[in-house]
Amino acid sequence: MLLLSPILSGLHGRMAEVGVDDIMAVLREASARLASASEHLGQLDGEIGDGDHGTTMVRGFSAIVRALGEVEPGSSDLTTLFALCAGSFLDSVGATAGPLYASGLLRAGSYAEGRESLPAQEAPMLLVALGDGIGSRGKAVAGDKTMMDVWLPVGQAVKAARAKGAPLGDTLAEVKTVAGHATEATRSMIASKGRAARLGERSIGHVDPGAASAAIIIDSFSDILAQRLG
Amino acid sequence: MAAKAGTGTAPAAVSGRSDSGIPLRFGDDLLLWASWLYYEEGLTQSDIARIIGVSRASVISYLADARTRGIVNIAIETAKLRSLSIAKALQEHFGLKDCLVIPGEGGGRNPFESLGSGGAQALRSIFKPGDTIGVGWGRSVLAAAERLSVDGLQDVRVVQATGSTSAHVPYTPAACATAMATAIRAECIPISAPAIVSRRELRDMLLQETPVREQLASLEELNRIVFGIASLRPNSTLYSSGFLNDNPQFRDAYAGAVGAIAGHYIDDMGRKVDGPLDGRIIGISLEQIASTPQRIAIASGIDKVPAILAALRGGFVNVLITDAVTGAGILSADGRDIQTAHAAAPQASGTGTAVLVRSSVKKFLNAPDDAVDEALEGAVTEHAAFLRPVRESNRALIARNGPREGKVGLVIGGGSGHDPCFLGYVGRGMADAVAIGNVFASPPPGPIFDCTRAVNRGAGVLHLFGNYSGDVMNFEMAAEMAQMEGIEVSTVVTTDDIASSGAEDRSGRRGVAGNIFVFKVAGAACDRMLPLPQVESLARKANRRTYTVGVALESCSLPETRRPLFTLGDGEMEVGVGVHGEPGVLRQSVETADDTADLVVDRILSEMDPARGDEVALLLNSLGSTPLMELYIIGRRVRQRLKARGVSVARSWAGHYCTSLDMVGMSVTMMHLDEQLRDLLDHPSDTPAFRIA
Repeated sequence: MLLLSPILSGLHGRMAEVGVDDIMAVLREASARLASASEHLGQLDGEIGDGDHGTTMVRGFSAIVRALGEVEPGSSDLTTLFALCAGSFLDSVGATAGPLYASGLLRAGSYAEGRESLPAQEAPMLLVALGDGIGSRGKAVAGDKTMMDVWLPVGQAVKAARAKGAPLGDTLAEVKTVAGHATEATRSMIASKGRAARLGERSIGHVDPGAASAAIIIDSFSDILAQRLG
Repeated sequence: MAAKAGTGTAPAAVSGRSDSGIPLRFGDDLLLWASWLYYEEGLTQSDIARIIGVSRASVISYLADARTRGIVNIAIETAKLRSLSIAKALQEHFGLKDCLVIPGEGGGRNPFESLGSGGAQALRSIFKPGDTIGVGWGRSVLAAAERLSVDGLQDVRVVQATGSTSAHVPYTPAACATAMATAIRAECIPISAPAIVSRRELRDMLLQETPVREQLASLEELNRIVFGIASLRPNSTLYSSGFLNDNPQFRDAYAGAVGAIAGHYIDDMGRKVDGPLDGRIIGISLEQIASTPQRIAIASGIDKVPAILAALRGGFVNVLITDAVTGAGILSADGRDIQTAHAAAPQASGTGTAVLVRSSVKKFLNAPDDAVDEALEGAVTEHAAFLRPVRESNRALIARNGPREGKVGLVIGGGSGHDPCFLGYVGRGMADAVAIGNVFASPPPGPIFDCTRAVNRGAGVLHLFGNYSGDVMNFEMAAEMAQMEGIEVSTVVTTDDIASSGAEDRSGRRGVAGNIFVFKVAGAACDRMLPLPQVESLARKANRRTYTVGVALESCSLPETRRPLFTLGDGEMEVGVGVHGEPGVLRQSVETADDTADLVVDRILSEMDPARGDEVALLLNSLGSTPLMELYIIGRRVRQRLKARGVSVARSWAGHYCTSLDMVGMSVTMMHLDEQLRDLLDHPSDTPAFRIA
């Protein structure tokens, strides 16, 4: 009976827990997707920044994936895992993304409170924590045309879904929709943080590269967890 | 619109009328005469017919002929034409019934004044007898109402669109409705209830009160509504007016919203966003606005672009009154290129036949990913007499001669791609250590911390770097790490690029080539064994008195992509460019070297405001590919200008000091000297890129 329970819960379309392996799968997927989007992100950044956002994100996530290779199966809890990711990312890139994602990953780690896994229903709260950590380091507010314009509405959507008790599958789908939409919405914004801020009105009409890469990470999270549902 | 009667070729005598006693004041040229009277004297066609003694039909044909023969040239001011083309593009793109675009900048001295005049002009032709007009609130709506005056509209009613607020601003809902009603001599129907009530039940109760019910019922009868669009940006009137509370919970609840109309939040597609105000607003609903036949929005401001775009997408607007900058912003935000939409005036820019089209920029590289590490390996060996790695990595380098007991340690740093910045300034008399990041990217806290710990000799450490959000965050984290180890760290960020932000936002400016002067002053202060607070304050002073403006002719290209980061047209230059290939603040046509130098000097002097007899240190810096020859030409003019101003160049340098990879361009830096700064600048230094004997 004990052996059957994962399968049974699988039949119900529900994954009992999200653990270290699941998060590692998410991070690997995000790394792969960022790598294939690297050039596109660089072009977006070239329009309003210095063009290095694609390579920065790829470098950071490659460092994470390399570090994951060293993790002994079953040896880590989520908090340790996220701290490892934060350190690897930061040490490899610095830049603007480094401190922001490092702070976000650390916050996700402290949300996990040393647990080896989270109830699947609670897993999207990791996205909220990530966004909170990034927000408190970068201090950007909604409408500044930054990655926070994706992290904020996504966090909001997760909390709203949680408040209504929405099924996990729906929440994951909703989060993807919101992220895509929010990315596109940065097109009409005027940059007021980072290098693009100096462009003033010339930043209008371009999607923010930080928002675009945030959406890629969020999509990876949703897709991989949804895939591992059954 | 300006019309000019020109001196075109005289046409052949027209139908021999000169025989019949017409005064030949313009020779035989009736066309010129008629044109003069019409365009310059401002006479009517009938008056002209009488004076010349021909029929009015003949005058009309003379005027038409004058145009075709080039006697009269009509020139429309480009700015006006541009706004006309933006208006047309907006109208087409969003299917608007009408659109009025005020020429000129959005961020002018008083944007509401011109928007208000434009709005009033539009409303004058829109309002008709028998109208029931809803009126929203806000600065734009009030500005339009105050500039409007229409007599003789019968049976017109103005309805306040939302309930009242107690805000201490002049543009409350009641004030706007009253002003509009007064302007068009209309009956005014107020709403005798608050715009927002504390509880839903209270709203339901108020709606049962007869006056409120009747007043709200008249909102159903609107045939037009005039309203403003609120942005949710921090400085929005929505908050400053007190209409809504600006608290974090509130913001969080409306995180998905980009704007508000009549107190209702909408998202970027113009859909209603649910939140704590639901059921607590007394006034017009979004559905009622959408179903009003004519929906006139008056709104401008570049920070309102997302909100206005949302309102357009949601179908809440079918007549838009805005300004040219905002209009262009809305169009480009919705993916429409206004240059191609309606080519108003041919630009000097554009895509003329390129002399040379390459898919990539040639560079001396191995694997692009290895470029930074290979360059560092070469540089560290090249300059081994001056510096060495702190530990094994070349990302944290320390001066061989410099750090010593009781001396404040100076740590600088930043991204790669700026050579000789930053490692070229490590050595005796300047920086003690440098942390190096990837191309154009801040180093992580790790190497910065390694440098900090290595140069700390009991007197504390100064972190000195350019003002970029990445550098600020990484240095901040490294400083936190150092402080946890009990190392005293002070931080100064350089902000010499005066093109990057206005004078009122000095602290928001970025640091560019002026870095070198600030490094020099701070390094000298350290070398003289001054204590940390004094080193810090001298660095701040040096930064405050250093001014840089850069101009690029061609973008740089990254090792990874080997493609230009941005493209400049054949005849274009980018003014105010930084050292990361980030586009500048203004793009204009290429000027001569002297005119370009003048542009830069004007900008610097207007801010530095030196007195006659003052001294400056001058740095003519190549951004990468501009040769010394051109720097000298620029420098020649800069010195002429300084001489004319009575300012002498006490010290000067020209060459590659702070570059942006292979960018074609230059920057001019001036430090406004005083005795103390000159003395510190003259203090000996021995580094790879900066030596003072």
